[in-house]
Amino acid sequence: MNRSILSRKEFIRNSAWALAGATLIPGMLFADEREEHAGLNSLNVNNTGKSFTLKNVRLETGFDYEDGDVVATKTGIFSVEIANGKIKKVSTGQPHADAIDVKGMLMLPSFRDMHIHLDKTFYGDKWQAVRRRTGGVKGMIALEQEILPEMLKNSTYKAEKLIELLQSKGTSFARSHVNIEPTSKLDSLRHLQKALDNKKKGFGAELVAFPQHGVFYTNTAPYLKEAAQAGVDFIGGVDPFTVDGAIEKTMDFTIQLALDHHKGIDIHLHETGESGLKTVEYLISKVNENPVLKGKTYLSHCFVLGKLDQAKQEEMAEKLGAAQIGINSTIPFGGLIMPIPMLMKHQVKVMTGNDSIVDHWNTFGTGSVLYKANMAAQLYGHNTEFGLSRMLGLATAGPLPLDDKGQQQWPKAGDAADFVLVDASCSAEAVSRLSPVKSLIYQGTVVF
Amino acid sequence: MEKTKYAPPVTGSYILKNIRLETGFIMDETGAKETRTELFCIEVSEGKITKIFTNNASLPGAIDAKGYLMLPAFSDMHVHLDKTLYSLPWQAHSPKKRSILDMIAYEQEIIPELLKTSTERAGLLIDLMQGYGTTFARTHFNVDTTSGLRSLENLQKALDNKKGSFSAELVAFPQHGCFYTDSAPLLKEAAQLDSVAFIGGVDPFGIDRNIEKVLDFTVELALDNNKGIDIHLHDGGKEGLCTIEYLAEQALKNPSLQGRTYVSHAFVLASLPSNELERIAEKLAAAKVGIVSSIPFGKLVMPVPALAKHGVNVLAGSDNIQDHWSTFGTGNMLQKANLIADLYGWRTEFDLSRTLRFATHNVLPLDNEGNMQWPKVNDSAEFVLVDASCSAEAISRISPTMAFAHQARLHWKEAERDAALGKFE
Repeated sequence: MNRSILSRKEFIRNSAWALAGATLIPGMLFADEREEHAGLNSLNVNNTGKSFTLKNVRLETGFDYEDGDVVATKTGIFSVEIANGKIKKVSTGQPHADAIDVKGMLMLPSFRDMHIHLDKTFYGDKWQAVRRRTGGVKGMIALEQEILPEMLKNSTYKAEKLIELLQSKGTSFARSHVNIEPTSKLDSLRHLQKALDNKKKGFGAELVAFPQHGVFYTNTAPYLKEAAQAGVDFIGGVDPFTVDGAIEKTMDFTIQLALDHHKGIDIHLHETGESGLKTVEYLISKVNENPVLKGKTYLSHCFVLGKLDQAKQEEMAEKLGAAQIGINSTIPFGGLIMPIPMLMKHQVKVMTGNDSIVDHWNTFGTGSVLYKANMAAQLYGHNTEFGLSRMLGLATAGPLPLDDKGQQQWPKAGDAADFVLVDASCSAEAVSRLSPVKSLIYQGTVVF
Repeated sequence: MEKTKYAPPVTGSYILKNIRLETGFIMDETGAKETRTELFCIEVSEGKITKIFTNNASLPGAIDAKGYLMLPAFSDMHVHLDKTLYSLPWQAHSPKKRSILDMIAYEQEIIPELLKTSTERAGLLIDLMQGYGTTFARTHFNVDTTSGLRSLENLQKALDNKKGSFSAELVAFPQHGCFYTDSAPLLKEAAQLDSVAFIGGVDPFGIDRNIEKVLDFTVELALDNNKGIDIHLHDGGKEGLCTIEYLAEQALKNPSLQGRTYVSHAFVLASLPSNELERIAEKLAAAKVGIVSSIPFGKLVMPVPALAKHGVNVLAGSDNIQDHWSTFGTGNMLQKANLIADLYGWRTEFDLSRTLRFATHNVLPLDNEGNMQWPKVNDSAEFVLVDASCSAEAISRISPTMAFAHQARLHWKEAERDAALGKFE
């Protein structure tokens, strides 16, 4: 709220940009001068569903170039008016007297976790590590049949805690898989729907009916048909060859179900050998036969792409791009590295998610997709201002403030008011330094 | 990155109650299923842990640790505290491709400016690390013809300012080569200082183009001044391997170097066939030469499990925390241990609990059989309190640090202090 401090900060930042790339800036200790922004809640914003204006909002406005390379991101200070869940106006003019001062925080599109299992977690419960197990995926199915009845007892509560964790990391939307199998029947879905309903003012989701125990390996097909009419958005799947023993039969069922109910498709594919590749190729051919599935069909994990030689990778990337089939990746590292930059080059929509936060599959999830973007930047060497700024798209599942040429494309009047306020000077900094998210706004509602 | 401040420390003698210690593993047919913990009281006096006794939740005058888990102090074993851009306005990595020699030229250009504020920035970087519970670092400091010994002097001022809450061992690091720039005389000068614990180095082949000449100089300097050695080695191929072998041979010949000679990075080990790796690992173990790694996780993955299996002491560190070499480091050693566990597939209760050693400079509360081995009466009072039920959880969930004791001085996070101290004062 103190204009003089803000303008001093502005001066410092501007002189920094003027020198950036040329040499270092002497004599400045910047971090401590930054005025703390404690979140909008502390400022008594009570505007749920109504209109309000934020002032001193930092927006990215372009790139600075040197010898043709992007060396810095230009930003400006704006007022942003929010009404009826949308951004009504972005302006540089004198703000309303009652505008809320966000003190130069950077506004970015809010984050989206596009592969997570909100229905099936230990989060909010007692710590337990992953156990050494035998029997592969079928052993895990047997384990789930044993533990799910207990896990379901408080799954609504745990899903709500998990949603709160995601919100705290700047995420206001998730694509959540939800177990559909003879053990849970539709309970996992219903429990999650209840949690989402309780959280709907600050969090949105799209749901994938996920036959974790196979479509036919356990008799899940009838439950999937039921789920397809019970508020899901996608028909899911998992390793048709390994679990059900036949690629075509399972895929045909899945595709038909999606077509019949106007749903998308999002299939877990961990298989890395011939069956993995065949599954990808079969799905591509089916989507090309049924163009209505283009743009709403996804393969999650799709590890087989990481195992192919480069020529085959290029070929598959092209085909996936042409069929508008997206890839959802947790961005694995170590043993297997996904060809994400190559997929992006061929216009394949690549999205990321935490998958497991803490459950019987994996206990490493942080809940932050900004962290995923950071890991991707490190893994693929996208460490320049431009490279880092593009990686933000993994955290937002698409939207970026600047296009590749540095033209401002977000936020625009009429855009949904889904955004975060971050303690960073630009998206490249936010990705590299995992800058703290100070506020989350979802459909015009202040979450914090 | 959130900044988290600590309240002024509790000093002198004190008793902590409701402190959670690991006391064993609960086993089933698959191995350690859970970690057993119990609450204790711990008395600290004259810098040491003087008593560990059954918890008494109503003990008058005791500080309430509220069930937080006590772990050995966190140490960052490879960092450059003297050379960071942390706290300066954001500046991404340059899009220009720079060779190591280009980087030396670039450093010669920016160091004079960096030195003007390096004391303050080192202090802020230490604050960041302390926020994550780190209270000890092995830090390299530049010794080069541009910095002279000023990078050391500034760093020492920063460390003096943190006395009682943070300590470091210092490596005299000829970043611009010993001979490529005429840094050898400066290095000799630094080697005579008590504050310097290690003689450093970097790519004897890649920079000085003469492995033996550089290593002979380094080893002699270490022997003459009774120091350890810790050299950066990014060189691959036969030159990289030759550097490691030559150094191991020097340590085998000079037992005083054993246990305090390290190769940092040692990327060449990631490219060796397994029989060759085994041979080198055995040699390193025999010479007691350790490997320090920032744990790369992309195309190059260090053979940490194989090295450890052969008894090589593998340590971990942040290396760059937001500097002109890399803008990524977080300064959080629990996160580093988490990355290690994730990368090498160490996911079970037992494996996660073992991974803690990368954050604690090899100190673990339980031995491999689940016997309690830390803390013991007479151990120095160096510990952290984390919000976790066991070390496996702390690693996997990157649990937050609530307090730490360094040289027995107990620092609580500001937000925790009042609840912990209550009627203590």
